[in-house]
Amino acid sequence: MEILLLKRLLGLNKVIIVRMNLLVEVKDAPGQLVAVLEPIRGLGANIVTVIHKREAKNEQGNVPVQLTLEGEKENLSNVVNKFKDLGFSILEINGTLDTEIISAILIGHLVDENLQDTIDRLNELEGVFVNEFNIQLSEDNKSAALINIELNAGKEELALGKLAEICSEKDFLMINNV
Amino acid sequence: MECKIILMGFGSVGQGIANVIAMKKDIIKDNYDAELKLVAVADSSSSAICQEGLDEQLLIDTKKNKGKLSNYPEYGSDISGIDVLDAVEYDCLIECTPTNKETGEPAYSLTMKAFEARKDVVTSNKGHLALRFKDVIDAAEKNNVQFRYEATVGGAMPIINCAKDTLSSCKIESITGILNGTTNYILSRMTAEGSSYEDILKESQELGIAETDPTADVEGEDAACKTVILANSLLGVDATYTDVEVIGISNITSEAIELAKDAGYLIKLIGEVTPTTLKVSPRLVKKGSAYDVSGTLNMATIKTDLADEITVVGKGAGSIETASAMITDLISILKLKK
Ligand SMILES: NC(=O)c1ccc[n+]([C@@H]2O[C@H](COP(=O)([O-])OP(=O)(O)OC[C@H]3O[C@@H](n4cnc5c(N)ncnc54)[C@H](OP(=O)(O)O)[C@@H]3O)[C@@H](O)[C@H]2O)c1
Repeated sequence: MEILLLKRLLGLNKVIIVRMNLLVEVKDAPGQLVAVLEPIRGLGANIVTVIHKREAKNEQGNVPVQLTLEGEKENLSNVVNKFKDLGFSILEINGTLDTEIISAILIGHLVDENLQDTIDRLNELEGVFVNEFNIQLSEDNKSAALINIELNAGKEELALGKLAEICSEKDFLMINNV
Repeated sequence: MECKIILMGFGSVGQGIANVIAMKKDIIKDNYDAELKLVAVADSSSSAICQEGLDEQLLIDTKKNKGKLSNYPEYGSDISGIDVLDAVEYDCLIECTPTNKETGEPAYSLTMKAFEARKDVVTSNKGHLALRFKDVIDAAEKNNVQFRYEATVGGAMPIINCAKDTLSSCKIESITGILNGTTNYILSRMTAEGSSYEDILKESQELGIAETDPTADVEGEDAACKTVILANSLLGVDATYTDVEVIGISNITSEAIELAKDAGYLIKLIGEVTPTTLKVSPRLVKKGSAYDVSGTLNMATIKTDLADEITVVGKGAGSIETASAMITDLISILKLKK
């Protein structure tokens, strides 16, 4: 996130943060997990969760590793390419999780009102994850952002309620789906 | 049978009524055996009154060329306001004075007086209905008269009668729609051209689509009045204007519209009516969905228990268009009298 804010300060006014789920197969041998995680850091992606499923070892002696990464779209696709280059087999991208995505537009002093806090407070909710935050800064300091929130089933009311609460507190106009 | 009409308010809609009566009176006579006669027509400060009936075209010409109806040849009068209702015998009041959502006047007093005199009323005015819907309906019932108000929501777009009559087997669960043409026009053009809210508002004012004081439209007040009327009439909710949560479009930026567009959405000012929510606010709607109607058009999706969703689309304003809904209301009353 610090990287993203930095980019904004450097004058790049479009910042898109995406979350990606990956299922990668690695050999069940010492050092293999590190070998998978190692390349991610240098590519501008953050690791959110790692689940090493040793109990699910297959006949070839490979085990699946479930990864959730976050970062800019471009960086995430670099990670995928790097994995392919290194010969890891990718079983699933973005999985088949039982989730839905809701969108909303926010208008207001999004940056002055602590962007990170806005995103964190949504992410704190269980089963709710800010998947994309695409901010468009404007000359007259009211910016607009498209926010995509990934939800587990049944979490829509919780997420929208929290978003509405944050918006009213920070004086943002919230435009959500009809 | 004669149907003697007093027409209060002779602006855009009032003149539309005169036009439509001129166009349709022969057909109405043939089909419903009713001879429509304008026996009094009033503007804000004067009137034209003649028990034998006024000439529709001459009324329009007088208003257009001479400003006041008191200049109507021979029958022009300085009687104005509520006194007009005492000046002549009539069967039905067609009321299209300006909407006032602070006081509901002059519509409220005119309507009550007509009811007490056992006259039917057709209106396009939202003010008194947004403030005192139940009082008005109760008074009509108590006096055993007909009261119709299709034109108050969505102009020519059939919604109230559609839900009440055509969908009478169904319970109406909710209504969601674009209930204001001016804001739909502004947002549509901002979307098409990428221009700022201020620029498009200014152009809309020059084109006569937005009013000089655009507050009622752009701040969502007009749409809010309509949600109150729908809640009362179709959902049986005893609501009033202050029950509506209202957010207008004046803070919508071109950046926001652009972001929405990139993600496959449009921003529309949406009115929402459910048994527990009355809300007007800018919302995201999917491109290509039923809500994707542009220009000054209005639309509404009516959710019912039996028929699922029904969507209506139509012109929310316009002189002849709005008058069409009012004359349809009048015909409904004539059918009951036959
Ligand atoms: N325009 C539309 O397309 C549309 C659509 C749906 C509903 N409506 C509703 O229909 C109503 C009329 O709209 P409009 O566009 O026709 O308005 P308008 O053009 O402003 O005309 C209003 C008319 O009412 C007259 N008036 C004002 N105060 C009066 C009073 N106390 N007694 C009698 N007449 C009075 C005005 O007189 P002067 O001529 O002397 O000023 C004018 O002739 C409004 O309530 C509006 O919300 C309009």
